[in-house]
Amino acid sequence: MDRLTDELRHKIVTTLNLEETAPEDIAENDPLVGGELGLDSIDILELVMMIEKDYGIKIDNRELGAKVFATLKSLAQYIREEAPGASD
Amino acid sequence: MGLITPVGKTVAETEFSIMHGHRGFKRLSIFPNLCDDTYPVGEIRGLPSAKGLPRTHVLARIAAEQAMAGAEKPPGAIIMGTTTGGMAETEKNLRKHEKSPEFYKYHAAGSVVDYLASIFGCKGPVITVSTACSSSAAAIKVALEMLRQKKIDSVLAVGADSLCHLTYYGFKSLQLVDAEWAKPFDLNRKGMTVSEGAGAVFLQGATHTPKNAIAEILGAGLTCDAYHPVSPHPEGRGALEAMKTALKDADVSPLDIDYINLHGTGTIDNDLSESAAVNRLFEKTVPCHSSIKGAMGHSLAAAGIIETIISVMAIKNGMVPPNTGCTVPDPALGLNPAREPVKKTIRTVLSNSFGFGGNNAAVTIGTPRRPGKEKDSILDLPFTIAGKSLVSGAGFITETLKSISQGKECTGILLEKELTRNLPAKKVRRMKRLPKIVLSLGVEACENSSLEEKPGSLFFGTGWGSLSETFNFTTQLIDSADKFASPTDFIGSVHNASAGQAAIEFDATGPNITTTGGDYSFEQALLTASLLSRNSNDPVLVIGADEYHETLSPLFDRSSPEGTTRSDGGGAILLKRESEPSGIILSPVFMEKAYGNNNAIRALISEFGGPETINDQYRALFVGIPESEKERCNKQLHQFIKDSDFKGSIIDYRRFTGQFASASAVATVLAATFTESGKIPEPLCGEGHSDLNGKGILVLGLGPYVTGIGILSKGLV
Repeated sequence: MDRLTDELRHKIVTTLNLEETAPEDIAENDPLVGGELGLDSIDILELVMMIEKDYGIKIDNRELGAKVFATLKSLAQYIREEAPGASD
Repeated sequence: MGLITPVGKTVAETEFSIMHGHRGFKRLSIFPNLCDDTYPVGEIRGLPSAKGLPRTHVLARIAAEQAMAGAEKPPGAIIMGTTTGGMAETEKNLRKHEKSPEFYKYHAAGSVVDYLASIFGCKGPVITVSTACSSSAAAIKVALEMLRQKKIDSVLAVGADSLCHLTYYGFKSLQLVDAEWAKPFDLNRKGMTVSEGAGAVFLQGATHTPKNAIAEILGAGLTCDAYHPVSPHPEGRGALEAMKTALKDADVSPLDIDYINLHGTGTIDNDLSESAAVNRLFEKTVPCHSSIKGAMGHSLAAAGIIETIISVMAIKNGMVPPNTGCTVPDPALGLNPAREPVKKTIRTVLSNSFGFGGNNAAVTIGTPRRPGKEKDSILDLPFTIAGKSLVSGAGFITETLKSISQGKECTGILLEKELTRNLPAKKVRRMKRLPKIVLSLGVEACENSSLEEKPGSLFFGTGWGSLSETFNFTTQLIDSADKFASPTDFIGSVHNASAGQAAIEFDATGPNITTTGGDYSFEQALLTASLLSRNSNDPVLVIGADEYHETLSPLFDRSSPEGTTRSDGGGAILLKRESEPSGIILSPVFMEKAYGNNNAIRALISEFGGPETINDQYRALFVGIPESEKERCNKQLHQFIKDSDFKGSIIDYRRFTGQFASASAVATVLAATFTESGKIPEPLCGEGHSDLNGKGILVLGLGPYVTGIGILSKGLV
């Protein structure tokens, strides 16, 4: 398991106050929205802010947001592309 | 009628600009914009300077003065719709680290109507409706019901909101803003334009049609999606019901509608959901329609009343205003908004306003009708209290009663884990303190209820709203040099966020109204509940609650200065109108302004049936004396006792609930509990005075307003 994905799992749980979810339960390929996590568009926007704060990446429109936040995997991949230092 | 908008400083100027397709969007100038990506706003330039007075108050006054010009007497009541209140000024002062409460005296959303009531000499009730972007349309419905009740013959309805950091950065954090400008219903629409403004209408009850009457508010409908905190229901479920209700309330059919003034914010979701609802209601014959938000942007709480006025002008001049900003209608929406002004005879208009919390309002406006037509089946029966709950520093109702009977106070603030003991973590994960209090109260009141039905409508009074969310949003923004704004905190910061959450919990799709007016917020909610449920015997949930916030409460609440015991909580009652009351009864509810009105106490005594009836029906008085108003309250209490010759026990309830705006909700629930058991615990009223002898308790509110809530056992009605 790579460090960035693991780090994102923890950040998602903390940012969204997912008390009943263990970070390791967030599967890489499961949909973030509408899946078992029970996340919706507001949660994604909260994550948008977290990603900008912690990784310096802006995701400022819905179309891009939908692609990036499709799954944990797509999120990690986008961060790697936009901020290559993040996974070190 | 009165208007001040980004496209005009009067009704005539605004109408001219809209008809000519002008856009009122400019670069933000009222506060420095530190972040790099900016967007244009509907800002009103050249407002008169008013030191310390927030923009919302200034805007409201300008519109109200136009509406009241030539009026022969003060309005009998004022119903206000606002969300921002003094927020713009509060932000400025928080940024300057001002620590004196003096700087925050106009913070409250409810302070706008206090200000207007003083200017226009209004002595009657005032209510501030704060249901986000449907606020002033909902205010019109409340005003309409007040006039239909015929106790008051004229009402000033006002809507106002000013630009502030909260709305500017809040909508941006939700990615709901079009960086260019709003293009409602256009194929390339990308969002709304945040704006500001105010509108006011002076409404008179029509026992006869006034000579100068321009139009008539024929009816209005309020519903709640009970679906999501922000996103509208994708098929416009609540919007459709609101429109249907507005037509039914006006006694007209879809075929009678000549023009629809659409909410049309220009966001992807609103326009999608609204068009679905419109197409379903009107099927293949959608009348002429347009949104004016492409011209003036979305002025939030003011939008509903501004658009009502534009609808009146459409009737008067026989012109449909154009949908500025729409060049190629989005084929997916199935609508064809008027892109140019259309000349036609317009007799009846339907105007839509929707808001966060799934709040929907639709208003039917028409040419003045011949008066005299009475509505059938007005029930107006007394309320039976079918369920109740409270939260105090001591805990829920059982713990609180235990505390009181042991002679202890129940001041303080309840731990959050205690507060949410009956709520799953998943449900409250996005909530801060106030919505947790409200949801806990609602759930417990329904669980304790004797009814099987859940409440269809919900009324929530709060003096200060969601302080934690407001504080977190503002401080995060300040600390990040305006870079980071939390969408969750923004959504949670609106006064009606908690009531929206509760509606989702109960699937309460009827009216969902949040009122705010300092120490009288719960009373405003009760008054609104009684007005809006006159026609129905569906269960109604009424909640009053406030949270204590370490930084903001001492700044805002004069009765809770630094150094006093921190207290918060609230109460909830589930009410049902019954012809044969089956339990404890709540009736009547009274409210009048006491500043400049020596008659308020006498009016209250008369509303409660005079000295003899009061002594026959009530054995105790629960008196609300806000600490900051002690001197005035004691004088008022003295006058009440003298004029009513009241002989029962007198209990200052804030001594044991603590000082907070909705303490009266706790007191009302306790009064109902004691009336039910027939006894008041001795530590409260002294030895030998605890037996109520089958009588009830009058919950009296004193200070700048005088309020009364009658709690009676059924034998006495």
